[in-house]
Amino acid sequence: MSDRPLVAVLTTRWESKTEEGWATRQVAGALACVADVHVFTPQGVSPVQRTDSVFTVHEVATPSGAAAEIRRDLLIEAISETGSGLTGRLLPELSRLLDRDLLDCWDGVSDLISGLHPDMVVIAGHQLVGAVDAVDRVAPDLPVVLLALGSDLDSLSFPHFNRVFDRAQTVLAVTETERLAIIEHHGGADRVHRIGAPLAANPSALNEPNTWVGKTDYVFVITGTKTHADEESVALARLIRFGFPDNPVAISATDALSVWHQGRLGEGWPVERSSDLTRLMAWARVVVDLRPGPLFGRRAVDSLLYGTPIIVPGNSRAREHAELGGGGLWFDTPGELVWCVEAMLDPEIRSIFSAQGQAYAEAAYGSTDGFIQRVLMATGDARAGDGGRGIEGSWRPGGNRAIPGGDASAPASLSITA
Amino acid sequence: MGKPGLDPKEFLERLKEEHQVLRWEPLPPNQLRPSSGGEQSRSGGSLDYLHKHWALPDSFPPEDAGRGPKGRLVSLFGRLTYRVLGRYFREERELLGHVVRISEALERRCDALTLRVAELNLEMVRRQVAEAENQAILAAWLHAESPRTHGGVTSISSTLAQRNKAAAAALSAAAAKEDGDRG
Repeated sequence: MSDRPLVAVLTTRWESKTEEGWATRQVAGALACVADVHVFTPQGVSPVQRTDSVFTVHEVATPSGAAAEIRRDLLIEAISETGSGLTGRLLPELSRLLDRDLLDCWDGVSDLISGLHPDMVVIAGHQLVGAVDAVDRVAPDLPVVLLALGSDLDSLSFPHFNRVFDRAQTVLAVTETERLAIIEHHGGADRVHRIGAPLAANPSALNEPNTWVGKTDYVFVITGTKTHADEESVALARLIRFGFPDNPVAISATDALSVWHQGRLGEGWPVERSSDLTRLMAWARVVVDLRPGPLFGRRAVDSLLYGTPIIVPGNSRAREHAELGGGGLWFDTPGELVWCVEAMLDPEIRSIFSAQGQAYAEAAYGSTDGFIQRVLMATGDARAGDGGRGIEGSWRPGGNRAIPGGDASAPASLSITA
Repeated sequence: MGKPGLDPKEFLERLKEEHQVLRWEPLPPNQLRPSSGGEQSRSGGSLDYLHKHWALPDSFPPEDAGRGPKGRLVSLFGRLTYRVLGRYFREERELLGHVVRISEALERRCDALTLRVAELNLEMVRRQVAEAENQAILAAWLHAESPRTHGGVTSISSTLAQRNKAAAAALSAAAAKEDGDRG
């Protein structure tokens, strides 16, 4: 039997498509450097235990259903809008409605945890009240690390989830904005750790530009929706191409890549592979991400790693990379967006933001070893508080290593400028 | 020579200062108050009553007279009264029938007008939304085309160039001084 510590990761879904799912997998991968990691999830069609890379995945097959999650999120939004949710006195009927169909799905996990005797539990998501109950039913003294996944600030500050934060010895946040929000609403600055994420620029992206836009110093706009959707991001993309007709503007929608120059349109296939996206970002003059990822704006970090400055909405999580990292600008109005794009088209200004952003991205996100160390140190705190085995164990930084079980796009702490 | 850093927050402040323009935004559309439904058929109860009771009796009911000689006398008087006033009662019944029918028609017309007002209100709000959106697009376009926009970036750019030039001059002066000291 292995003498490595045993860690149980509880997550609603075990996937890498969303930023939340991807971050969960990276944290599990970092822990897998020193521990055996078992993943428990209510998803699946029949109960099954399978191996996924270095992880043992237990699918309980009692999924809660997307409807219950949508209802919870809508309720949080509605209650937060009225301000009544922040007082901490939520009507019992509303509490029950928030949790409806989201607690029972974790019942089957209790027995599995009881049989496994893990040294530590990681709960991926601050809304997983059912997961906390599942742990407490069989192991109320087990150290718990919470990977907050606080994409939504309303939800993060919602008192209904206080007991998830209270139960955790250590809370992991991906960004500084998320960390500060957790401390503001739940206290405990010494137990909330910013871990960032392990990202790396792939030098091959600079080998050859995208054939549709070439090396044309283009503005690369990502709308995150269909080309002709009746949405704000489409209108803003249109504004950019109207505002800068003499500069090539590449607009990446979910159904096509449109390249506009001097009123002429060249249309290409939609960007589906992440390697194509990074290639487009690497060769662009500036990346305007009109709908950045909700947890940490991964595309913005990717862009900065290639030395391409970013312009993002002022109310997005990616603003942190522009503001704290000095890697770009943010806008609150369409006018500001146009000014920001025009500023970035100035080579002098662009080169300063490029250098600042790249330095920031490499320091905060570009090192896989750094990420593993941050995760292990933070989770080690949780175990130390319990008097148990140190979770950082025998792991030591070892050059350009890959995260076990992490996805292939982040193989190592490479830097294209190194 | 290292390039001078740029604080994005300060840079944005300066961009906004350079583009000092009238802060404008389209008026929000009117709040649409949906009809509660109670605005229609408010007198529905009274209209029902009229429908049920507009036909008044056109003869004297014998059971109202009672029994005995007194009853026979009352019955005789009653029949006589209805016979004398019969024409008046028939015309009154016609009149009431028309009153009920016109009330019914008025009620329907009122309901139709209420619905039409609600529809017009909705159409007006939709038009306001479309106008506001159109004006917002115009405003954004005017922002983008503003001649000050170009001046703003040019101004920041020239400031940066001046800073670089000053730094280079300071550096070469220091180098010259060092050479002089050596000599």
